[in-house]
Amino acid sequence: MKKVRLVRQAALALMRYRMRTILMMLGVVVGIASLAILTSIGEATKRETIERFKNMIGTFDTIMVRPGGGRSRGMPTLVNVPPTLRFEDAKAITELPGIKSIAEMQSAFDIDIKYRGKAASPAVFGVSANWLRLRSDEVADGEFFTQDQNTSLARVAVIGTDVRSALFPEQDSLGKTIRIAEVPFQVIGILKARGAGPAGGSLDNVILIPVNTASRRLFNRDYLTMVIAQLKDPVQSDAATNRVAGLLRQRHHIQPPGLDDFAITNPAATMARVTQARSTLAKILTGVAIMVLLIGGIVIMSLMSIAVSERRREIGVRRSVGASRGDVVFQFLLEAVSVAFVGGLAGVLIGLGGMQIAARLEKLAPVLVWQPFASAILLSVVIGIVFGIYPAWKASRVDPIQALRS
Amino acid sequence: MIQVENIRKTYARAGGDNVEALKSISFDISPGEFVAVRGSSGSGKSTLLNILGCLDSPSSGSYHLDGEDVARYSDKQLSRIRNAKIGFIFQTFNLLPRTTALENVEIPLVYFDGHVDRRRALATLQRVGLESRARHYASELSGGEQQRVAIARALINSPVLILADEPTGNLDFKAGQEVMTLLEELHHDGRTILLVTHDDAVAAYASRELRLQDGKILSSQTVSGVPLPPAIGGRP
Repeated sequence: MKKVRLVRQAALALMRYRMRTILMMLGVVVGIASLAILTSIGEATKRETIERFKNMIGTFDTIMVRPGGGRSRGMPTLVNVPPTLRFEDAKAITELPGIKSIAEMQSAFDIDIKYRGKAASPAVFGVSANWLRLRSDEVADGEFFTQDQNTSLARVAVIGTDVRSALFPEQDSLGKTIRIAEVPFQVIGILKARGAGPAGGSLDNVILIPVNTASRRLFNRDYLTMVIAQLKDPVQSDAATNRVAGLLRQRHHIQPPGLDDFAITNPAATMARVTQARSTLAKILTGVAIMVLLIGGIVIMSLMSIAVSERRREIGVRRSVGASRGDVVFQFLLEAVSVAFVGGLAGVLIGLGGMQIAARLEKLAPVLVWQPFASAILLSVVIGIVFGIYPAWKASRVDPIQALRS
Repeated sequence: MIQVENIRKTYARAGGDNVEALKSISFDISPGEFVAVRGSSGSGKSTLLNILGCLDSPSSGSYHLDGEDVARYSDKQLSRIRNAKIGFIFQTFNLLPRTTALENVEIPLVYFDGHVDRRRALATLQRVGLESRARHYASELSGGEQQRVAIARALINSPVLILADEPTGNLDFKAGQEVMTLLEELHHDGRTILLVTHDDAVAAYASRELRLQDGKILSSQTVSGVPLPPAIGGRP
């Protein structure tokens, strides 16, 4: 009961000195608003990056092996493929423990595709029949080729939406025969549109054909652009990477200090690096916002200390009618915390508004992440306590006798 | 009501030497007495008032108030005593600014441990004749009215002891008289009042006078001028 009455006294005091209360709040409002906006943008950007990354790679339970070596990070280069990764290597990888399945891939970028006078030059990928599953790709219309069609070197193609619009602007494409480097192929499916990759380029300007058909009938190559290995346990991606690397070194007779003639990309690890880099930036921005918040706390502390000097008489009266030192500390601390809490609440509301604007300017999906806002309010309460303690203590040390006689 | 025995109060001053503000003071005040404390500045009357008002503790000696020995009480215990048993009236009124008369009277209720009836504040304002001013801010009241609000604030928890420190010092003659009439009425109602004053006319309202000088009691006499026997008046 007494505590409730003290809360009311604190509220009355804050309303009595309205101007000072608003000034005390300002720093916290600005600090919390910027903190909330920055962390939300950081979070939204991170999600956007993960989304794009996922879009390109498909799934995170795979590792990618490509020929060449030297570079050990980043995405595989698909042009100028060194002839070091062979079909037999792919087969050997399949037999390693921890590997669920693999998909082979060959690629070419300089091939003309024609259909009745219309032409396009998309990326041509020869891939295994299980490609869709390993890439989380989907066929929107028609169907994908089968393992049998791959084995029998069938001349069938599944085309991306960009290719379809280029070659078949006004008509149905399924069942039509297109010419890939003058070799006739039947269109049996259309891929679902995927939009932009991480670099912004379209992922839909592509034609998929069976990898064996590509190897024997089109490219005349027995080496691969890439092998995608699906893992039984995605958590074990580092172990699987090491195992595959060991196998390939053995098969290619590479002894240290010889350099690898292959490179393995581990999307899970890369993803971790990317998001970590993002969060480092976010940490710096958060640090700046916390600085603003600390300044807000110092503003509360100094204005509150001045208030204690100005309200010495009030403190004296309260003490003389029965307020203990603890009661005085409680009231002044409560005033500081209330100011910080209301300031934090206002900051969050402003932050929400700012977040909408920022999302529009940055063309990010307006992600509403509640954690930054919840922790911002919690943080403002902590600021109120930390920076309210000194003035509250000072208030409790006011000598009532002197205060009442002045 | 009040038994003070051998109270001393020593203050440490910057520089190391101590100042003895009260030098072994003893006296009794019976319930319902109206006592004036007089003395020049530096005589120790402020120190005595602070100790009697439980705003300060004596360095040594004992102080019984309403049956409790409060001399060694903690801050929290003293706060409870101030809240329940003592009503202060000050020279400068000390009402909270930007706060209504009624809210000022209510302040002691805030610190009362347990349930309180806020209607009591209005009744107490009525007692000092200011119920019509309940919603007025302190700054809208005259000096005499402010002091009456302060008296209502002192009365709200029905204290056993009222301590008035120069209650008329900041008032004109008429307002001062009104305040003293009010205190006299409270005395007639049976309340114990201790009044610090310089003013002979004000001191004349009291039934007994304690004279302090140099931290000691110089004399204790009834207003009729007859000195009390030392047993009651304490050591000079």
